[in-house]
Amino acid sequence: MRTNRLIGFGVLVLCVISLMSPAGAQDDRVEIWPILKEQAFGDRPIAEDDGMVVLEVPQKVEDAAIVPLTVRVPPSVKGKLKSLALFIDNNPDPKVATITYGPAAGTGGERSFSTRVRVDNFSHARAILELDDGSLHMATRFLAAAGGCAAMQAKDPEADTVGMGKTIVRTFPSAVNSTPIWAGQVMIKHPNHNGMQLDINTAKFIPAHYVKEMTVKRDGELVLKLDATFSISTNPNFRFTFGRGDENHLDVVIVDTEGAVFDGRSHGSGS
Amino acid sequence: MENTRVLQALVAIVAIAFLAPLAWAVPMVVTEVAPGVYVHQGRHEVQSAENRGDISNASFVVGSEAVAVIDTSGSLALGQALREAIRGVTDQPIKYVINTHMHPDHVLGNAAFKQDKPIFVGHYKLARALGTRSESYATANKQMLGEDAFEGSEIILPTLLIKETTTLDLGDRTLVLEPLETAHTDNDLIVTDNKTDTLFLGDLLFSGHIPTLDGSIVGWLEVLDNLKQREVARVVPGHGPPSMAWPEALQAQQRYLTTVAQDVRRQIAEGKALSEATKTAGFSEADNWELFDKYHVRNVTAAFAELEWD
Repeated sequence: MRTNRLIGFGVLVLCVISLMSPAGAQDDRVEIWPILKEQAFGDRPIAEDDGMVVLEVPQKVEDAAIVPLTVRVPPSVKGKLKSLALFIDNNPDPKVATITYGPAAGTGGERSFSTRVRVDNFSHARAILELDDGSLHMATRFLAAAGGCAAMQAKDPEADTVGMGKTIVRTFPSAVNSTPIWAGQVMIKHPNHNGMQLDINTAKFIPAHYVKEMTVKRDGELVLKLDATFSISTNPNFRFTFGRGDENHLDVVIVDTEGAVFDGRSHGSGS
Repeated sequence: MENTRVLQALVAIVAIAFLAPLAWAVPMVVTEVAPGVYVHQGRHEVQSAENRGDISNASFVVGSEAVAVIDTSGSLALGQALREAIRGVTDQPIKYVINTHMHPDHVLGNAAFKQDKPIFVGHYKLARALGTRSESYATANKQMLGEDAFEGSEIILPTLLIKETTTLDLGDRTLVLEPLETAHTDNDLIVTDNKTDTLFLGDLLFSGHIPTLDGSIVGWLEVLDNLKQREVARVVPGHGPPSMAWPEALQAQQRYLTTVAQDVRRQIAEGKALSEATKTAGFSEADNWELFDKYHVRNVTAAFAELEWD
């Protein structure tokens, strides 16, 4: 808790500085990626923009609290996927999410992953894909976020906590029956507080409280395990692909930072 | 048509000129839309150094014993210009400063009235809303307006929190204040001047300027459906002309919000993702609004995030 608050203070200061000199936000900043890369991948080589992984972000960020972000692995990439890591360099916690793929993640078509993130400031977003052979491939895009710290405010704090934990799981069967890759979606009602909102009425920070882990299984086999940080938007929303199975039941288990466990299920066709 | 009288208050704000040499005196134009009811119309623009934050409507109502201000525009300097405009009309004490909701373009002029020691009035959720945003609002507006135009602006929290319908007496006329459920924001407050049947809607009503969604699109449409039944002589929007006929004033905005909600709902039902919806939903409205390019995608994003849980 204390650490969160300290981070919060630091972030407020950073925000103020960067907003006061928006033009310099890109230039003056310490290049943080080499440090992040070293921490996450050591000295392993990472191929950049080699077409193995594609990252899609909006051309212009309209609401920095809900920035849709999609990672695609084109069908030309045939093998299994081992992991996918998402970073936003200049976010308070740059590591947005890490996904570890399981045997039911599927092969034989385009694979993808989408979510919505908070973007605290002008920053690079990165997707680093690890293939089965251990090779790393990175796609990088620049996010011109305009929301700054205001991005972190809940529109309606009551509405955000009503029905907390409600989890919706959907399956989107492929239009073509023979396609081996299907899509699924998980939505969870959760405020995903980042611990950085200072309330001047109480002079206190609203404590951090967010989804930190999600496991998705298809017919009992692991599709993916996701570790997340508070860079994921309020009411976390994930879309992903999985390998078509027999029943195509999706079972999802979600754990938040307070240890609360939420689960949801979808049946083979539709929701 | 309204029998309007335009007052041009040319004001030399000595204090501001002294404190911030680059700031210039702001003449504030106010229109008397009904006896004792004055409205300044803001520009349909995003805050900038050029417009100094003069982008929203600010009003005041003059009673026989007191004056109430309803929204104070987007900076200390504009609040001071509004105060000078009031002083050009009446010497009655400024007893109430009412904020219709939290947005900085409606509240940052509050500081100009501190010298009057008024009661600052808002929806009961306004204090929390401003409390958690004061830092980011100040930072963002300082950046958009520039140091000079922003000089001295500050967030002032309400001291009278309105949780149920409340009447304020200005002498010879009363204002009725009603807090609403989440609509444009989670802290919308509407004000009715009983003497002239003038309804101040704040940002529950936009005209010309595209509506901006920072609360709940479902809630907003519900609130508008209820308000539509009211019989009032005129309404004052938060952005748009100083005075409009009711409920005709509502049509364009209701069509916009309904279109966005319908398009977004359809795409959700079709399994479309947020990123797809932001490219198509509601774009049939593009030619009907000023600042469409600035706020529409944001509105769709907010509507999508809300409606996918319906």
